[in-house]
Amino acid sequence: MNIWNWVALSGAAVLALIVVGAVRRRAGASASGRRFFRHPTAAPGLFVLTFFVMVALAAPLVAPFQPYEQIDVDHLQNHAPSTRYILGTDPLSRDVWSRLAHGARISLGIGALAMFVAVTIGAAVGATAGYFRRWVDTALMRLVDVGLAMPRIFALLVVVALWDRIAVPVLVLVIGLTGWFATSRLVRAEVLSLREREYVAAARALGARPSRVIVRHVLPNAAAPIIVSAALGIGNVMLLEAGLSFLGMGVPSPAPSWGNMIADGWSKMAVAPWSATFPGLAISLVVMALNAVGDALRDALDPRKEAV
Amino acid sequence: MIVWVVRRVAASIAIVWAVVTLTFFVIHAARGSPFLPESSQSVDPETIVRITNQFGLDRPLWVQYVLYLRNLATGNLGESFALRRPVADALADAIPNTFVLALAALLIDFAVGLALGIYQAVRERSVGDIVLGNIALFVNSMPTFWLGLVLLLVFAQRLHAFPVGGISDPVLCPRLDSAACLGDFVWHLTLPALTLGLVGAAGTARFQRAAMLEVIRQEYVRTARAKGLQERRVLLVHALRNALLPFITLVGLAFPFLLTGAVLVETVYAWPGMGQLAVRAILQRDYYVVTGAALVTSTMVVLGNLIADLLYAVADPRIRVRGAGA
Repeated sequence: MNIWNWVALSGAAVLALIVVGAVRRRAGASASGRRFFRHPTAAPGLFVLTFFVMVALAAPLVAPFQPYEQIDVDHLQNHAPSTRYILGTDPLSRDVWSRLAHGARISLGIGALAMFVAVTIGAAVGATAGYFRRWVDTALMRLVDVGLAMPRIFALLVVVALWDRIAVPVLVLVIGLTGWFATSRLVRAEVLSLREREYVAAARALGARPSRVIVRHVLPNAAAPIIVSAALGIGNVMLLEAGLSFLGMGVPSPAPSWGNMIADGWSKMAVAPWSATFPGLAISLVVMALNAVGDALRDALDPRKEAV
Repeated sequence: MIVWVVRRVAASIAIVWAVVTLTFFVIHAARGSPFLPESSQSVDPETIVRITNQFGLDRPLWVQYVLYLRNLATGNLGESFALRRPVADALADAIPNTFVLALAALLIDFAVGLALGIYQAVRERSVGDIVLGNIALFVNSMPTFWLGLVLLLVFAQRLHAFPVGGISDPVLCPRLDSAACLGDFVWHLTLPALTLGLVGAAGTARFQRAAMLEVIRQEYVRTARAKGLQERRVLLVHALRNALLPFITLVGLAFPFLLTGAVLVETVYAWPGMGQLAVRAILQRDYYVVTGAALVTSTMVVLGNLIADLLYAVADPRIRVRGAGA
C-alpha cells in the first residue's frame, strides 16, 4: 500500500461516516426513521455497508495492485501481512487486499443484483397468487413448495453444472431464479389480506385492470415486508455465492470474489492463514451489517413488532 | 386429523416426485456424461452395457425417465458409474454419517441457542444481553465453511486437539466396534458438529430471545408473578412453554439449513456424508447418485415440515381443533 491508497481508503471511511450522518439527520424527520436509528446496531451496520460499497466503487484507488497481478511468483507466495502488502499475498503471489477490494465489487454486486432478481420475481408471483387466488394460487404455491423442498445449494449446484464456466451475469440470474420462493410466500400472505381492503374494492369499482390494482394499490402497501426480506436476503445470497465459489462452482477463478479467495487460500491455510481468513472476515462483517440493518428496518417499517 | 395427515403425505410425495423429475432432466441436460474419456477408466465396458440396457441410456431422454421411474418404483435407485456400486448402497453408507452430524449439530444448536436466548431475554438490555447479542449476530453471519476452516486451523493444525478431518482413524478404527473407536468417532465429530451447531445456535438464540420477550409481556405471566410464584417457575414453566411454540418452526427450518451447511462442512472436514457424495456426483455427472441424493434430501425437508406441523398440533390445542374440523 502506498500513501495514496491510504489516503483513498481514509477518504472512503470519512465519506461513509458523512453519508451515515446525513442519512441520520434526514431520518430524524420521520417516525420510522427515528425508530430505525434507535436500533443500537443500525448506524454501525449502515456505516460498514457504506464503507464497503465505497471500497468497491473506488477499488482501483484503494488497491495498490491489479487483482490478477502475480507480483513475484518466485519470491512472493504467501507473504505475511506487511506495510507493503497489508493483508499479505496469496499462494499465487497476488496481493490479498487488492483482490479483497476488487472482490467487493463482485461479491456485493452479486448479492444485490441476485436479490433484486429474486425479489422482483417473488413479488410478482406472490402478488399474482394472492390477488387471483383459486387455481392460479394453487398452481403457483405448489411450484413454490417444490422450490422450497430442495436445499438451495443443492439446486444451485445441479443448475450451475449446466455450464462449463459460468459467466457472472448468468450466476446472478441463476441465484436469483432459485431464491424467490420464500419471498413469494411472504408477499402472497400480505396480498391476501390487502386485497380485501376498501381502497382495492374502490380501485376495482373504478374499472382499474388487475395489473394496475396490483402494481399501484396492493404492492406499495406490502412494501415493508418485501424490503426487510430483501435486506436480510442479500446477506444470504452472499453466503451462498461464497459457498458455491468455495466448491469451485461459483465465480470462475481469476476473477476475485470473496468466496473463491477463501477457496484459493484454503490449501495453504496452515502456513498462510491470512489469504483465506480476511475474505471470510469481510463476508462475515458485511453480512452482519446487512442483518443489523435488516433488523432495524423491520422495527422501523413494522411498528406492530416495535415492542420486541 | 387423519384426512389432514393423508392429504399432507400425498402432497409431500408429489413434491418429492417433482424435485426428482426436475433434477433428473437438469443433470441430464448438463454438458458432459459419466462415460466421457476422462472418467471412463473407472467404468468397465461390461457395466456400461448393463447400465445402458437397464436404464435405456441409448434411448431418448423421456424413455430414460420412464425407465428410471419404473426402477424407482421397485426400489432400484440405479447404479453409480464412478463408484461401481448401487446408488442405494452408496446412499445407505452416507446417510447415517450426515444424520449423526446433523443430529449432533442440532443438539448444540438448540441447547446453546435456547439457553442463550432465554438468558438474554431475562436480562434484557443488560451488558450481557448486548454483548451476547452482538456475538450471536456475528457468528450467525459467518459462512459455515469458513468458520469450519478457522476452527480447523486453530484446533487441529495449531493446537493438535482434534483431527483434521475424516470420520474415524482409518488405521486404528476402520469400523465402529469398540468403545475406544466410539470415542475416536466422537473426537472426529466434535469440530464439524460445532461448526454447524454454533452458526445455527446464534440464529436460534436471536429467535428465541424475541419469542421469549414477547411472552414475558403477556398478562398470564404477570398473573403468575402476582400469585407469588418463584421467578424461576414463572420463566421456565409459564413463559417458556409458550415461547417454545414459534421454536417449532425452527425445527422444520433447521433441516434445510443443516443439509445446506452439511454440503460445505462435509467438504471442509472430509466427512463422508450425503453432501460430499452429492457434490462429487454432480461434478462427475453421476446421474443416478444425483437424482438419488435429490430424492433423499427433498424427502428429509418435506418430512421436517410435516413433523413441525404435527408438533404444532401437539403443542397448541387451538391448531389441533382447527385441524380436526378441516
